[in-house]
Amino acid sequence: MSVEPIIRVRNLVKRYGELVAVDAVSFEVAKGEIFGLLGPNGAGKTTIISILSCITSPTSGSASISGIDVVTDSLTARSRIGVVPQEIALYATLSARENLMFWGRMYGLRDRTLARRVDELLDVVQLSDRASNRIDTFSGGMKRRINIAAGLLHRPDVLFLDEPTVGIDPSTRRSILDLVKKLNTEGLTVLYTTHYLEEAEFLCDRVGIVDKGKMIAVGTRDELTESIGATGVIEVRADGLDDAVVDWLASLPEISQAARSDDGLTLNVVRGANLLPTVVDRLTSSGVDIHSVDVTVPNLESVFLHLTGKRLDEENDENNRRD
Amino acid sequence: MKALHIALKDLRMRLRDRNTLVMMLLLPVGMTAIIGFAFGGESGISTVEFLLVAPEEGGFLVDAAAGFLSQHELFDVERASEEEARRAVADGERSAAVMIPEGLVDSFLSGTPAEVRVLRDPASSIKAGIIQSMVEQVVSSVSAGSALGRGVFETLDKDEPLSDSEQLALWGWMFMWMRDAWTEPPVSLDTADADTVDFDVHAYFAPGFAVLFLLFTMLTSAKTIHEERESGTYGRLMAAPLSETSIIAGKMLGSYVLAALQILTLIALGSLFFGIEWGSHPGATVVMALVTAAGATSLAMLIAAAARTGRQTDNVGTAFILVMSLLGGSMWPIEQAPEAFQRFGRFTFNYWAHGGFKKLIFDDAGLAGITQEIAIISAMSAVFVVLAVLLLARRRA
Ligand SMILES: Nc1ncnc2c1ncn2[C@@H]1O[C@H](COP(=O)(O)OP(=O)(O)OP(=O)(O)O)[C@@H](O)[C@H]1O
Ligand SMILES: [Mg+2]
Repeated sequence: MSVEPIIRVRNLVKRYGELVAVDAVSFEVAKGEIFGLLGPNGAGKTTIISILSCITSPTSGSASISGIDVVTDSLTARSRIGVVPQEIALYATLSARENLMFWGRMYGLRDRTLARRVDELLDVVQLSDRASNRIDTFSGGMKRRINIAAGLLHRPDVLFLDEPTVGIDPSTRRSILDLVKKLNTEGLTVLYTTHYLEEAEFLCDRVGIVDKGKMIAVGTRDELTESIGATGVIEVRADGLDDAVVDWLASLPEISQAARSDDGLTLNVVRGANLLPTVVDRLTSSGVDIHSVDVTVPNLESVFLHLTGKRLDEENDENNRRD
Repeated sequence: MKALHIALKDLRMRLRDRNTLVMMLLLPVGMTAIIGFAFGGESGISTVEFLLVAPEEGGFLVDAAAGFLSQHELFDVERASEEEARRAVADGERSAAVMIPEGLVDSFLSGTPAEVRVLRDPASSIKAGIIQSMVEQVVSSVSAGSALGRGVFETLDKDEPLSDSEQLALWGWMFMWMRDAWTEPPVSLDTADADTVDFDVHAYFAPGFAVLFLLFTMLTSAKTIHEERESGTYGRLMAAPLSETSIIAGKMLGSYVLAALQILTLIALGSLFFGIEWGSHPGATVVMALVTAAGATSLAMLIAAAARTGRQTDNVGTAFILVMSLLGGSMWPIEQAPEAFQRFGRFTFNYWAHGGFKKLIFDDAGLAGITQEIAIISAMSAVFVVLAVLLLARRRA
């Protein structure tokens, strides 16, 4: 990258007492990119975004937006950034238009310019007909869309989207992803956090994988999947798995990682086209009841598995159960 | 400018909320009306009837006391037996009965304790209160006289014992003197009875409830800082290009305007519904209202700043406001409390706020008459705001 990156993060650290929520994270995002931060619950994604949007100050390290330091020149930096928080940060008893007018004013927009921009964005998120209804009468997906619109009013250089599809139905989710894509093609740089790997794969030019505060890998999808050296993935859905059989599989030279999930097993395969019969044999002979077997190419899930020894959705499930 | 928009946004949200309006206006007006009923239309008292139970042979002391108690045109006193008096008070025919024991003069001369009792009808507490305070005045001056007299006698007795006739002559002289003092007090206290003559229950309690509910409204206003934190809008404000000072200033401004609206509306409603005359200096009343609004806003902001969550703000704040209102006399006549209690009350915002309005209403004070209240509430507000801002700044991690 020869041009100055629009987001530059260097050695960012954030401690909450003993807990290191962000642990020496560094990355850069080029203008026009969609950059994904992928990681399980509690990985530190929101904390990174909070520091970049000047809501939280870092313990150490630095971050800049278009060359403007977010700590020392935060007022200027903030005017370049659009923020879409993870929660619906809107006033429930105000209408969609009232909310957008208010947030526009907070970014210094006024009068005709403001009114016109609000109408424009209501149109973009397809809620013009509901503009004067209160936010608390909206569905989850509609709230999410206004939440995004509120981050776009001042035409920011870069948009931070923090898990904007949590808790909504698949079709709304799809429409939000399409909206982000569309905004990106119009020139907006996007920093997008998620714990859904399909979203990261579908949307992002490059992905940073975050776990326990650390950025454990950065790159395009292909770079990341190639980096683990696996040529294939075997997904088994089965009952009656035990640790012994999983350990035995993991010890095979052809298998780089084996991880159990709620309903089965995922194996990262390094080489050996004829591995499948061996695996199936071994499983059936130890009494495992196989429902299905899938052979696929490596994806970001395989990368996460390779790097952490855990499945991403398993992590999420665990954390969700804890919540 | 952005602070102004935050204030306007808050105002719009609060005024749109029906609960806010109920708490702001309906409850204080309702409470004032209920208290008015509870005191049984005693507002605008013209006469206070009571019974005097005294021994026939009570002597000059009883006559003097009875004379004093009935001298004012406000009082209508009749003699009765103890039995009649008890029945009349219990039935609510009379507000109170004053019972003077046998041998009061002897006790008086010898200095042994005697008990004058006031039997009160609880349903008529204001009239009974007036009588009680009159009796207290008489009793305390009689006690003082007795102590003084015995002191004089002892001194005279030391040199040369006084004969009986000399003693009687001396007592007689002292009583003449005391009675004169009662009828025309050489030192006139700011007599409570002058106020109570046209005691207006609504006018007394309306400002108290206004202050109390002003604090409640402000508490729910200040709580929105936590609500905004919890809903994420505070974070979104922090991510916008404006200083946190502007955010806090905006929230305080919105609260303050709401407080001013509330207290001024309550004053207007008080006149409308209860015919309260808030003094004849409208300028002073408005200044008092605006200063009171500032006090309530900043106090509530401090409570919210000290609390960790919205819920805690509610719980701690409500308890705090109720205790302060009790101590400061927002809900009952603190004038009837012992001096020591009243001294505690002076530490509360409620005491001074209610006190200022009472001066406007009952003493017809102008701006000059309430400078103390204004100064104290302003100083309190300044301290509260500074503490609140410090606490809020510290919270920012
Ligand atoms: N204000 C705070 N005080 C203390 N700890 C915090 C605070 N904010 C975040 N943390 C901790 O920092 C860690 C990272 O949290 P963060 O919200 O950044 O995770 P995340 O990746 O956004 O997770 P999720 O997917 O659930 O949103 C967590 O362990 C969290 O408990
Ligand atoms: Mg998060």
